Amino acid sequence: MLLSDAMEDEEKWLAEGIAGIQHNAFYMHRALDANNLREALKYSAQLLSELRTSRLSPHKYYELYMRAFDELRKLEMFFKEEERHGCSVMDLYELVQHAGNILPRLYLLCTVGSVYIKSKEAPAKDVLKDLVEMCRAVQHPIRGLFLRSYLAQISRDKLPDIGSDYEGDGDTVMDAVEFVLQNFSEMNKLWVRMELQCLYYIHFGDPELRPSFGLSGLQGPARVRDKMEKERNELRDLVGKNLHVLSQIEGIDLDLYKETVLPRVLEQVVNCKDELAQYYLMDCLIQVFPDEYHLQTLETLLGACPQLQPTVDIKTVLSQLMERLSSYAASSPEVLPEFLQVEAFAKLSNAIGKVIETQGDMPIVGSITLYVSLLTFTLRVHPDRLDYVDQVLGLCVKKLANKPKLEDSRATKQVVALLSAPLEKYSDIVTSLTLSNYPRVMDHLDNGTNKIMAMVIIQSIMMNHAYVSSADKVEVLFELIKGLIKDLEGDSDDEFDEEDFNEEQNSVSRVIHVLYNDDPEEMLKIICTVRKHIMAGGPRRLPFTIPPLVFSALKLIRRLQNQDGDAAGEDNPATPRKIFQLLNQMIKCSSLGLEGWAETIEALSYVPSPELALRLYLQCAEAANDCDLEPVAYEFFTQAFVLYEEEIADSKAQVTAIHLIIGTLQRTNVFGVENRDTLTHKATGYSAKLLKKPDQCRAVYACSHLFWVDDQDGIKDGERVLLCLKRALRIANAAQQMASVARGSSGPVTLFVEILNKYLYYFEKGNPQITSAAIQGLIELIKTEMQSDTVTPDQTSDAFFACTLRYIQFQKQKGGAMGEKFDTIKV
Amino acid sequence: MASRRRMLLKVIILGDSGVGKTSLMNQYVNRKFSNQYKATIGADFLTKEVQFEDRLFTLQIWDTAGQERFQSLGVAFYRGADCCVLVHDVNVMKSFDSLNNWREEFLIQASPADPENFPFVVLGNKVDVDGGNSRVVSEKKAKAWCASKGNIPYFETSAKEGLNVEAAFECIARNALKNEPEEEIYLPDTIDVANARQQKSSGCEC
Ligand SMILES: Nc1nc2c(ncn2[C@@H]2O[C@H](COP(=O)(O)OP(=O)(O)OP(=O)(O)O)[C@@H](O)[C@H]2O)c(=O)[nH]1
Ligand SMILES: [Mg+2]
Repeated sequence: MLLSDAMEDEEKWLAEGIAGIQHNAFYMHRALDANNLREALKYSAQLLSELRTSRLSPHKYYELYMRAFDELRKLEMFFKEEERHGCSVMDLYELVQHAGNILPRLYLLCTVGSVYIKSKEAPAKDVLKDLVEMCRAVQHPIRGLFLRSYLAQISRDKLPDIGSDYEGDGDTVMDAVEFVLQNFSEMNKLWVRMELQCLYYIHFGDPELRPSFGLSGLQGPARVRDKMEKERNELRDLVGKNLHVLSQIEGIDLDLYKETVLPRVLEQVVNCKDELAQYYLMDCLIQVFPDEYHLQTLETLLGACPQLQPTVDIKTVLSQLMERLSSYAASSPEVLPEFLQVEAFAKLSNAIGKVIETQGDMPIVGSITLYVSLLTFTLRVHPDRLDYVDQVLGLCVKKLANKPKLEDSRATKQVVALLSAPLEKYSDIVTSLTLSNYPRVMDHLDNGTNKIMAMVIIQSIMMNHAYVSSADKVEVLFELIKGLIKDLEGDSDDEFDEEDFNEEQNSVSRVIHVLYNDDPEEMLKIICTVRKHIMAGGPRRLPFTIPPLVFSALKLIRRLQNQDGDAAGEDNPATPRKIFQLLNQMIKCSSLGLEGWAETIEALSYVPSPELALRLYLQCAEAANDCDLEPVAYEFFTQAFVLYEEEIADSKAQVTAIHLIIGTLQRTNVFGVENRDTLTHKATGYSAKLLKKPDQCRAVYACSHLFWVDDQDGIKDGERVLLCLKRALRIANAAQQMASVARGSSGPVTLFVEILNKYLYYFEKGNPQITSAAIQGLIELIKTEMQSDTVTPDQTSDAFFACTLRYIQFQKQKGGAMGEKFDTIKV
Repeated sequence: MASRRRMLLKVIILGDSGVGKTSLMNQYVNRKFSNQYKATIGADFLTKEVQFEDRLFTLQIWDTAGQERFQSLGVAFYRGADCCVLVHDVNVMKSFDSLNNWREEFLIQASPADPENFPFVVLGNKVDVDGGNSRVVSEKKAKAWCASKGNIPYFETSAKEGLNVEAAFECIARNALKNEPEEEIYLPDTIDVANARQQKSSGCEC
């Protein structure tokens, strides 16, 4: 209620003010057209009286001011003409001093003053000095600030700058600087004084001191203060603009800036002891003056920071400074030596340390934000100086030392930003891994953030397709991502999220694939390092982490195998020794590595992933076979069987497993008779013990391939093949009978047709135990079965059988040896 | 009567920080350029006398702060503008994307009588940078936008090399001149109001 009333009142007052200006402007224009100087002055003074109001907030006052400002431009033009008309500008300067009130008088004086300087009838510096002194008469903050900003604006292009029209005759840049600096400090004082006046108003209720807009006496001190703060904030650019004017003075070279301008501005800033002013003016100073000046005066500029009020937000100021300097460094490589020459990094780092020290109660997030800025600066300006980067991280570690883990989420965010910056900069992760303080910073993160950071690291590796290529680096990397690798102290199960967990572990397994070195010895070390870390991961993680590591090891083994082959083809005398060495290594790696692996995979069998473990055993067995390592391969098969016996209970899983075992065993040629017999015996035994007859049948006829390997020197034991097939037939028969007992009808003939196909296969391959008579017999058997009433007709098996017969027909007609062989079979 | 007003043409330069507003104004008014970046604070103007068909005009060119935090007092100075110059850096897409905002903000705040026909001029600055290789806003794209906003004249400029600056400002001045000024018609009701109002003012002598 009160506020909206107040705002309405303010609108009304503004409207009144505008009306007053328009009214007087009308008469002023008439006077100007009539060339009536006195009338023009009278009405312009009346018009300017509207600016004497105390009722408007800075925003509204500015509107009123702009109206008056525009009118004054017309008057100024008239003054210029007037000069041509005969009345000297010096006379004018005298004349306007008779205007009634101080404020209108001073506006007019400034207006004439600008014409006066332009006319060059008086030295610019004298007029400026006169004006800047006279403006002291207005001590009301808002009125005074606007008046002085008017002075700053109209004198802006009339300063005795080098190369300007107003230089010379003893007028120097120094005079311009003095003038602007004086106006600046007067304005700053007015601005700072608002704060004091506000306090007076609160305590003594003097309406002249009232912060401008619509306050009724009913409002409490806190409200009054808030408003005053808001108003002061609106007014800040009027003060700051002086610094802009200064920066535009060309004559201010580095020396003048260093010797005079900067110290004087800083003196004003430091001494005013006002939080708002100090923060804002430091910001302005940094923004309006060029970067090379800052670089060359870093010490002075930074030296002021600890002298500011403890409440000033120095970290933002410094961040902005560093931001500017880093853009400057990025703008051209030629400026980099400047940074080195002035030791910018050391100075900034020092200053930050001092600020953090003096502002004892700066929250931790503040300090870390400062380090982030410093790090950003370092990465942009000195990307080659990893020691600097590490130093900044070290500062952060120091700050965090002896403190419990970070809980403030904003501070945590900053730490993540700090740690992410080097990853973004150096696309090669390895660079970041050399930063000794990196893991130490990570240690201060809470577990959740630690994991997030670990994911950021992994993503950065994946995104940059970077390889981590030494065991040492891998060690560092796994130390960094340990939050994903094992349970950390304080990890609680309540927060367990399966989806997140899976994603994390998948990331870890992806990263294992990019740990790579061409040198087998180093690669082996890498693998051992990874193994050491992931073994601590516990049952939930192993199913994710073990497979990639096993495959990484197998890849290494295959690599050694191939190298061996290649090198052997060369006649280079140096090579045999090399090969020998490599072989030696290979054997060491395979035996040590693989045997070690058995143990590793064993860990998997404790977790509910026996099927996964079985597959890995078989992969290893195959690799061992390729390396000609019989005992190793045997060991793996044994492990696989143990798993099969003890852990794989589901019947479907058993079927899959037994076929995998048979397939692998079939490809294995490293075994001597004894080992081989043991293993094939087991395989056939388990096959015949599967739960369902059809599964038994299929597994058993698959086992026949264990005795007939279609290689040049593969095993070819026709008898045992036949034994398997006969056994399969018996099982198929039994299955048929069981089906008739159970359902009154036997199953389809599919199993028989499948077995027939196996017969045909071995028949063609020349297994002497498989005769055309046996095949004939089987065909007849199937035909009879199909015709029996009890059989359920089945299209698929009928078609299968028809195809098989067509195939026999086709072979018969082929002629030649094959045709002859098939000749005796009748279909 | 209107003549005095017409001799002054008010131009406002708007655009993101760093696009070169101050540099363009300095190049045009003082024929100077500096590589150094010095942020503008608040609003600042320079004047320049221009001559058209043997009439002399004063161009009042307002340069503004592109950084929002240096525009604390608001934009009362937009009032009475005769032309608005929108500047972007052809090497920075964001500065071009901002033009729409600058234009709309200007129309809202300055509230010209005929916003449809208020004269704007668009400048694509810094065409010199890196021999044009780092350019991201094409001439075609800029022109298409200008066309969509009622055929705003478009210039490609370099404040650094003075390229097209003179031509652009001549166009700006001519467009400003074409803009019908909205002289608020003011008719005083009684002569005495002013004097009566004088007494109302608050007690202070300044
Ligand atoms: N190469 C090149 N640089 C330019 C050009 N115009 C301006 N610059 C540079 O760009 C930077 C910014 O220029 P300013 O004129 O200060 O930019 P501004 O738009 O006034 O910026 P604010 O005051 O922050 O709004 C300075 O370093 C200039 O030297 C140009 O045409 N070419
Ligand atoms: Mg600027």
